[in-house]
Amino acid sequence: MRKLILLLPLQFRVLYRQFLLRVIDLEALSIEADIPRFIGQFAGVLIFISVVSALKALSLPDAPPEVLRGVCWTAEQQHISGIMLIVGLFAVVSWDATFPDKRDAMVLSPLPISPHIILLAKLAASSTIIGVAILSLNFAAGLAWPILVAKACAGDPLRAMAAYWFTMTAASAFLYCTVLTVQGMTALLLPRGLFLRLSALLQLVAFGLFLVVYFLQPTIDNQAAMTTASSHHLLVCLPSFWFFALFNQLNGSLPTSLGSLATEAWIGLALAISGAGASLLLCYLRTMRKTIEEPDLVPAARGLHWAPRIGSALQTAVLFFTIRSLVRSKQHRVIFAFFLAGVFGTALFSVQDAWWSGHRLPLSMDFLASSYLMMVLAVVGLRSVFALPITLHANWVLRTTQLRSTRQYVAATRHTLLLLATLPVWLLTAALSFSFSPWREVMVHLAVVALWGFILTEVSLFGFYKLPFTCSVLPGKINIQFIFWGFFIFAVIFAYMSANFEIHTLHNPSRSGLLLAILAAAAVCLWILNLHRARSAVLYFEEVTPQTITTLGITSFS
Amino acid sequence: MLELQNVSKHFCGIFAVDDVSFTARPGEVTGYLGPNGSGKSTTLKMITGLIEMTSGRILFDGKSIHDDLIAYKRRMGYVPEEPYLYNHLSGVEYLVMISQLRDLPKRKSSERIDGLLRLLSLYDDRHASISGYSKGMRQKLLISAALLHNPDLILLDEPFSGLDVGSALMLRNLIKELAARGKVVLFSSHELDTVERISNRVVILHRAKVVADDSIERLRSMMDLPTLEEIFSQLAVEQDFAATARQIAELIHA
Repeated sequence: MRKLILLLPLQFRVLYRQFLLRVIDLEALSIEADIPRFIGQFAGVLIFISVVSALKALSLPDAPPEVLRGVCWTAEQQHISGIMLIVGLFAVVSWDATFPDKRDAMVLSPLPISPHIILLAKLAASSTIIGVAILSLNFAAGLAWPILVAKACAGDPLRAMAAYWFTMTAASAFLYCTVLTVQGMTALLLPRGLFLRLSALLQLVAFGLFLVVYFLQPTIDNQAAMTTASSHHLLVCLPSFWFFALFNQLNGSLPTSLGSLATEAWIGLALAISGAGASLLLCYLRTMRKTIEEPDLVPAARGLHWAPRIGSALQTAVLFFTIRSLVRSKQHRVIFAFFLAGVFGTALFSVQDAWWSGHRLPLSMDFLASSYLMMVLAVVGLRSVFALPITLHANWVLRTTQLRSTRQYVAATRHTLLLLATLPVWLLTAALSFSFSPWREVMVHLAVVALWGFILTEVSLFGFYKLPFTCSVLPGKINIQFIFWGFFIFAVIFAYMSANFEIHTLHNPSRSGLLLAILAAAAVCLWILNLHRARSAVLYFEEVTPQTITTLGITSFS
Repeated sequence: MLELQNVSKHFCGIFAVDDVSFTARPGEVTGYLGPNGSGKSTTLKMITGLIEMTSGRILFDGKSIHDDLIAYKRRMGYVPEEPYLYNHLSGVEYLVMISQLRDLPKRKSSERIDGLLRLLSLYDDRHASISGYSKGMRQKLLISAALLHNPDLILLDEPFSGLDVGSALMLRNLIKELAARGKVVLFSSHELDTVERISNRVVILHRAKVVADDSIERLRSMMDLPTLEEIFSQLAVEQDFAATARQIAELIHA
């Protein structure tokens, strides 16, 4: 393998290694982050999901063939939409990474490197990550499910396995190439300044679209339901169903009525790959030079400067600094969008039954738990993004203008958290509440959510004696596995336990009142505690590494 | 009046500033000179309160700046050596943020921001992102931010860096004008000609220590040298520049 790698041009190998480290914007997490380990942690999460799915497949072999066929259809659709979601999220996180940017243009253009080497190295880096995602998410499920599918439709397990892996790769390639085509065409057709602005918007739209489609698309577990006229219109618009048909076509289990869907998959794949190839080639040949030629400063005589005073001068300054950092910094925007996507995904999950039924339903455990989780995601998400620095070197200005006590800076951060995380989630919950009844219980729940948001905000301010985006991050401090499992195990269980408690309380006005009083008291206590602690705290701009004693392990030879 | 009394700063045992004492008076421009690495920027950062001193005292109007750092910061404006700014903000957004952090009245600060941007030729690009600003534009923005609150003490670390000829001439006059209005102005620069033209007195630093602290006229007469450049060369320069240049050319030619 090593000999094969050495056959590749040295320039390609050097660039590939560099681009692999840059394929995800990890500078935001830490410049010194251990990126291979970081990717390994992501793979670990996907492998766990794969193992859980495979265990489910292994628990089913004795089911009746009819049941087995329905379960397999559902699982096939879920696996295809799952891999498309993962690749879609990767495409969002690595937005623009495959295209030449100003840094590449300035650093690499003066060197004797042809653009096709740069393009190939970038494509190889992106393909590596997508390959890791496909392998990790399917490494166990991709063995167990094809065997079960073959059993359900009396087919050949090896053929089912080949069809499964080909479909997963094709679905991933389709999605990634579609995103590249859209980006490439936008870069080619629009002036660079406009492209950069639109690109940021497209990134967020893509993020939202992938999640909305994933959470809202139906799962159809039988052929009859799939061939009805209303379903057919839906399936024609949803690429995951095209690839579901493609899998069954390759496996030899495709109902003839769904043949057109498989054809759509082939056409879509061909269009996406050729579109991505053409736009990438043109971008490297055309826009790389254009990037250098573009003036650094685009005259912006026209512009909007609207800064209403919201709170004190300091609170307004911190609020607008936060909004501008979130909107304009790619790293911060993407990471916060990840949490927001969780909020919207949870919101859609919580109301989908009410929407499909078309009338108001009684308050459900799912809705109550979802509103807690949305609040956790928004507050924790914003607080996490606050910890990522934006321009550490520019912090001198905050230090030389530090004219107030730390307590006032903490108050400004609280004000920002409440306005940008707690209030929007509360408003979203209130909007979603229109799908539920009775009103009295809904109102009590909204009051509970408001207090829960305030409590979370106060908890997230513990020890946060710094301004958003202004403090260094210690390398290796962020642990994805910890965040992932912490959220799923602790937050989900806690949310459902609390929802269970609340739903019993809501029926009884006096118990509802007591619950609100307890939550209000907790919120006030936390607020007073933070106020007291902030009085003696010192605002800081540098994370300090905990001092450790390192032994060299040198022993006496005597 | 700004007074430094036996100020020292060491990093891991190495003295960056060693027992420095001097005074900068209101109505005067004090030039702070020294070769690279002599401790100029470290001194200015200690005066701004950005870094702690190892020993010594810094007094402003007779009071230690650390007695009430917040009150001191209200009266101080600082232009750092490197034009580090929040690049994702526009010029006007940056200045508005500074005015809010300094708690300046909204109407007054809007007028000042508008005026400074126009006078420093940044008005047309006020809505453009700072990331697209040239070094000179950044420097002008830093100068605007430092003067926005009408400070009594103005600390300028290499303020002419990146400025074009016209802007540099304007800044020279601005420094003199500010001093004439009773401000304490302390500035460091490598442009000896500029320092000679606008400074009332100079402090020369070499290897972290003050080697001269006097008016330029007195230094000229004491050392019997015609220009500040020659005074500086004699006090603070050890390298044979011609020989070094020759060595570099030979190295790359070999």
